[in-house]
Amino acid sequence: MPKLTIDGQEVEVAPGTTVLQACEEVGVEIPRFCYHERLSIAGNCRMCLVDMERSPKPIASCAMPVGEGMVIHTNTERVKKAREGVMEFLLINHPLDCPICDQGGECDLQDQAMAFGRSGNRYHENKRAVEDKYMGPLVETAMTRCIHCQRCVRFTEEVGGVEDMGALWRGEHTEITTYLDKVIESELSGNVIDLCPVGALTSKPYSFTARSWELKKTESVDVMDAVGSNIRVDARGNAVMRILPRLHEDVNEEWISDTTRFAYDGLKLRRLDTPYVKKGKSLEEAAWGDAFAAIKKKLKDVKGSEIAAVIGDLADMESMVALKDLLGGLGSKRIECRQDGTALEAGVRASYIMNTGIAGIEEADFLLLVGTNPRFEAPLVNARIRKATRKNGLKVANIGSAEDLTYKVDEFGDDATLLKKVLGGRHELSKALKAAAKPMIIVGQGALRRADGAQVLKAAHDIAEKYCVKEGWNGFNVLHTAAARVGGLDLGLTAKGGIEAIKADAEAGKLKVVFLLGADEFDTSALKDTFVVYLGTHGDEGVKNADVILPGAAYTEKSGTYVNTEGRVQRTAKAVFAPGDAREDWTILRALADVLEVKLGYNNLGELRARLVKLAPLAATLDTLVPAEWADFGAEGDVAEGGFGPAIGNFYLTNPVLRASKIMAECVEIREGNAEEATGTHG
Amino acid sequence: MANLIEKLFSSPIFTWWNSATFGTRLYTSRKGVKVGEDKEGNIYYREKDGKRRWVIYKNGPIEASRVPAEWHGWLHYTVDTPPSEQPLPTKSWEKDHVPNLTGTAGAYVPPGSQRAGGQRAASSSDYEAWKP
Ligand code: SF4
Ligand code: FES
Repeated sequence: MPKLTIDGQEVEVAPGTTVLQACEEVGVEIPRFCYHERLSIAGNCRMCLVDMERSPKPIASCAMPVGEGMVIHTNTERVKKAREGVMEFLLINHPLDCPICDQGGECDLQDQAMAFGRSGNRYHENKRAVEDKYMGPLVETAMTRCIHCQRCVRFTEEVGGVEDMGALWRGEHTEITTYLDKVIESELSGNVIDLCPVGALTSKPYSFTARSWELKKTESVDVMDAVGSNIRVDARGNAVMRILPRLHEDVNEEWISDTTRFAYDGLKLRRLDTPYVKKGKSLEEAAWGDAFAAIKKKLKDVKGSEIAAVIGDLADMESMVALKDLLGGLGSKRIECRQDGTALEAGVRASYIMNTGIAGIEEADFLLLVGTNPRFEAPLVNARIRKATRKNGLKVANIGSAEDLTYKVDEFGDDATLLKKVLGGRHELSKALKAAAKPMIIVGQGALRRADGAQVLKAAHDIAEKYCVKEGWNGFNVLHTAAARVGGLDLGLTAKGGIEAIKADAEAGKLKVVFLLGADEFDTSALKDTFVVYLGTHGDEGVKNADVILPGAAYTEKSGTYVNTEGRVQRTAKAVFAPGDAREDWTILRALADVLEVKLGYNNLGELRARLVKLAPLAATLDTLVPAEWADFGAEGDVAEGGFGPAIGNFYLTNPVLRASKIMAECVEIREGNAEEATGTHG
Repeated sequence: MANLIEKLFSSPIFTWWNSATFGTRLYTSRKGVKVGEDKEGNIYYREKDGKRRWVIYKNGPIEASRVPAEWHGWLHYTVDTPPSEQPLPTKSWEKDHVPNLTGTAGAYVPPGSQRAGGQRAASSSDYEAWKP
């Protein structure tokens, strides 16, 4: 371990550390623009210059590995001068448009110019001007502001895995561009906005709508996919103005997907803001009391066995508990959280979570994907896999349809019977799994949605048991697509026959009343003749056949508990109020229970959470991964030949919030247009 | 009775804010020399053999802001030649003089105020509700 001295302090660091990192370790802050912990080192901004003894000139600390006996000074006159010089060079061509720049107030260049720059300007010539580039509907550009740190280029290439950004020309003429005004075809493209240390890349939807200092910041959790990315919701008044990532090393590092970042305009469109009751053929606005009365009237002569409920993808655990208890009071246990019809069962926790954890991917050395496309189902899991392939040489194999996952994948074809062959032990994959020290298998929802999903699950279980479950290592993983699913399964909200049985019974008239808790992801036309109570946020699929609509709160408007795909319990926070008459879901159910004369036994969120913990003890373990016990699950039987369908439809349209969003609609249009172009006549 | 009191109190004997008082009128008729009139019809006087200058407002309250800019200058001894003799140069973009409207129906109300019809301007907190 090399020892070095930084400003008189001795420090011992791991070999391979850079001087900048070593400085950070002793608490000396070095200004930087191009250096970023999660990207490769470029060393092209020169802001990090420090003095090293016996070196004739200052060194770029971000690119200099530590050496034994180095003596570093960061506060000498020469360092100060060097920083001032670099700053002055950077500002030569940087426009002074902070007052009209969206980055103003949270700009690295602004801050560092204040802290390390000279006070005056000695440059009187014209500044250079660069044409703005088109980068798609999400990223706004003002390329004169670019300081060529190349963070965006390195990000798209290294983390995003697409080679859509790059630099053209040299020296003063350098321009960052997407080449031919292309869209950045990555699901993580929004992160370049955060990465850009200046205002060259800013958010297009957010542009000129707010200033950073007038926003109220609320730390929350995302529900657009099952990753549970940690986010910060920035609101002004009662509007979510933008969503930014929050650091969580084990979940999303510091990235978020584009759906997470840009879904917020969907929170203001197509919102349910008042109860509706169906009168005759049409829905009419109603007061809360009238809506409850209508439900009560209907329920008067309905038996408990004729009532069912379906949980949507964005439901929080609190409202699930309230709904479960309400239904229990009405005499029904039929409550279903798997609205996509997957074959997961609630009993064994290890059977439906990502046992390895998202961060665990980095430890693995072999990964088998089964019927999943993580790039779209969980972009951050995909980013993790890509990171592991780059850093640790993780090998990835795929059983399922071959897609571009941004890293090298050995394709074995889209055939479920392969699983049995792998289990047999003679297949190439079996050997690879056996040879690996820490092999992983990720089963997607696409694989479990087949008619023989339970058998596929069993086959995956057996493979995992044979190869992937070892002392201190559980390599069996289920990748979810819905934020509410693991929570629902933790609460045991599964009904026999699943969603198909509910649909069939409704059509056969055996079900009289169905409650939908934001369930929009299945075809509700089967519920046409059933009395449907829809509790949700958006006018989407669920309201089409609803008889009573109760407006609920979206994830930014309530504090709700969610469990992500690895079984991590996290909580959203209330950033704004629900629109109009809409209320937090559990309060609605609590009020409805009063009208229906059902005793729920809780009057506030605290009591409800106590009940939640009673039903699902793990809900008390906020933000910790509790290893799940390995057991037997799935159903014995043959796996039919044939491939796995996709788990989700369009990446940008997976839930009602996204479907309401105009930004997402634009993304769909542009990316689909591009795909057509690539395969169509232009090719 | 109440009516009578009201009348009394709005007469120039008791109030000075509705119109010129008797004293002023008397003084004007004895000593005042009419100098000119502004667009609104307020009449400006000066003392026959002294230097006092004053204004009698035409109908309506005694409200200093009713004096337009050009007469304001003369009335406050900034200039000696009244604008009736030597009008101030006006620019094409100059707006007509408006007295202070505070307390009147024409007073400014911010957008969104109940007095402005309760219609507030669009804000980022607005949302679009779903309609069946
Ligand atoms: S656009 Fe921003 S992130 Fe990209 S090189 Fe320029 S300054 Fe750096
Ligand atoms: S941070 Fe070291 S050169 Fe940019």
